[in-house]
Amino acid sequence: MLDVLQHPFTVRFDENNQEFSIIGLVRPQTEYDLRDLTEKFRRAVGAVRGTLYVNVKRLVRINNVGFRVLSSLLVSSLEGRSDLRIEVVTSSVVGWSTRKFSVLSQLNPRIAVAEYDNDFYPGQAFVEDDNIIALLRTQTKLTWQHERDILPRHGLRPGMTVADVCCGIGDFAVLLHKQFDPARLVALDHSKPSLSYARKVAADFHIEGIEYVYGDASEMLLEDNQFDFVTCRHSLQIFDKPELILRELFRICKPGGRVYVTNEKVSHCLGEPRGESIQWTYSEVAKLVAHFNHDVEIGPKTRKLMIDTGFGEVKMETFMVTNTDSEPQDFADIIESWRELFAGKMATMRGDDAAFIARLRQGFDDHIYAALHPKGYAGWPIWVASGTKPL
Amino acid sequence: MGAISRMNMMLSKDATVQESGFTNLLSISMGVDVFTADWLYCDRISSYVARMVSHNRTDSLLYSNLLSSALNELLETAFRCNGGVGSMTCRILRRGARDRIELEIPADDAVLAFFAETAAALARSDAADQYRAALFADGPVDPRMGLLELSVDYGADIEIAPIGSSAVLLAADFNLEPEAAHA
Repeated sequence: MLDVLQHPFTVRFDENNQEFSIIGLVRPQTEYDLRDLTEKFRRAVGAVRGTLYVNVKRLVRINNVGFRVLSSLLVSSLEGRSDLRIEVVTSSVVGWSTRKFSVLSQLNPRIAVAEYDNDFYPGQAFVEDDNIIALLRTQTKLTWQHERDILPRHGLRPGMTVADVCCGIGDFAVLLHKQFDPARLVALDHSKPSLSYARKVAADFHIEGIEYVYGDASEMLLEDNQFDFVTCRHSLQIFDKPELILRELFRICKPGGRVYVTNEKVSHCLGEPRGESIQWTYSEVAKLVAHFNHDVEIGPKTRKLMIDTGFGEVKMETFMVTNTDSEPQDFADIIESWRELFAGKMATMRGDDAAFIARLRQGFDDHIYAALHPKGYAGWPIWVASGTKPL
Repeated sequence: MGAISRMNMMLSKDATVQESGFTNLLSISMGVDVFTADWLYCDRISSYVARMVSHNRTDSLLYSNLLSSALNELLETAFRCNGGVGSMTCRILRRGARDRIELEIPADDAVLAFFAETAAALARSDAADQYRAALFADGPVDPRMGLLELSVDYGADIEIAPIGSSAVLLAADFNLEPEAAHA
């Protein structure tokens, strides 16, 4: 039942970044139990000039014995060192740390406490925009009609313990809950507005049994080896380091369990008529998004990523959301949202000129035209990959 | 949960509604001699119990982490400050967003005196200063520190009351839910 990190703590010192990290659970009986941490910290302080970063983002719990030792170390390390300041980097994910460490700032102004959550991921502002919610709901509606049949092929069965990492607004978790009746379903996301929305929807629809939790997918507090099936959809592509996320998905998956990811290769979006314009726009979208360190071409690369992470029995398949297997207007609405996101917000932020943006918009408009045309065809291909964590 | 199963504890889920309006969610009872045999039991019990009662809170993981931290401080206090023989009982109660932890701890005269002094200290208006002083004091750890922190940082209402002449009730009421929702 334990599902928060329970390992004995570890400490690391990264001299390049002057960062001393404490990870895990620090609940000693006596100060003597922390002699190793104390010695490593003192050595680290001796090697630092300027700012020492004390990273407690993944210090899940600390008792007062431990906090007393750490406080004393931080305060005393500044004595006789006018060149030194300390920045304690906390995370609101663990709940207590910002408040607890703030007492040290009050004692010594050269100790600062910074909560890093607002800077989880580059480009987070794009995915936290409330206007995106409608787009996300429609996307899930269109992909679910494929995925409800695909998921069992990748190992999902009723009664499993399931985690949906990067759950967004939680609508996939709701569908999964209804269709597959998991024994436990944890849905995690780093966006507080999305989670609030997810909880509200669950409450409005009287859906009980989904645990919506706040967290950083690349540094989850969830314990190792907990879930039979872990899903992470359309998300590796919006992280600058997708391998970190995969490593975390691997970690929380039980040996023998499976991790399921979906991603796009956006340049392969297609449509007819006006295929050439559509193709140009989506190729440019891939480059545009790459400018912000996201890889929306990652779909076919996920097989290699999963194998490199250590997964076995990696399965790949693709499916295509089209205007012929869904309401054409729903698909057109999605494309319209993409147009506003990419040709509106992101191209402007990159500093693209008006002519380029107009051409970019035209491709989206042509894709909408293809989707709504009575003889047209518009497609959005998605790559599914899943792998087993070896026993 | 190997460590906990070795403790011979009695765990019961008891949904009794008390006069105070709190519902008893679960109780753990174990010999105080067994409890104090291993410091790690504080951590194991607090983590397990917190998880058991947090699944239906707004953010189960965050809530569990906060509740475990609070419960652990109470258990560590009980570990350090107990006397005589008998059972240590831990109860978790709930009334809406509010949770209450109750510990019944075997106590001799010295322990009863310690808790009476602690109750007086907590009642003073300078609890935050006392907590800070305990944090940076030289010498051994002040056994009141965990309770001071619960009062100052968690806004807990702490009740300390003797149960006859051989036990003491240590209770903390707090509301972690708004914090969980806004974290």
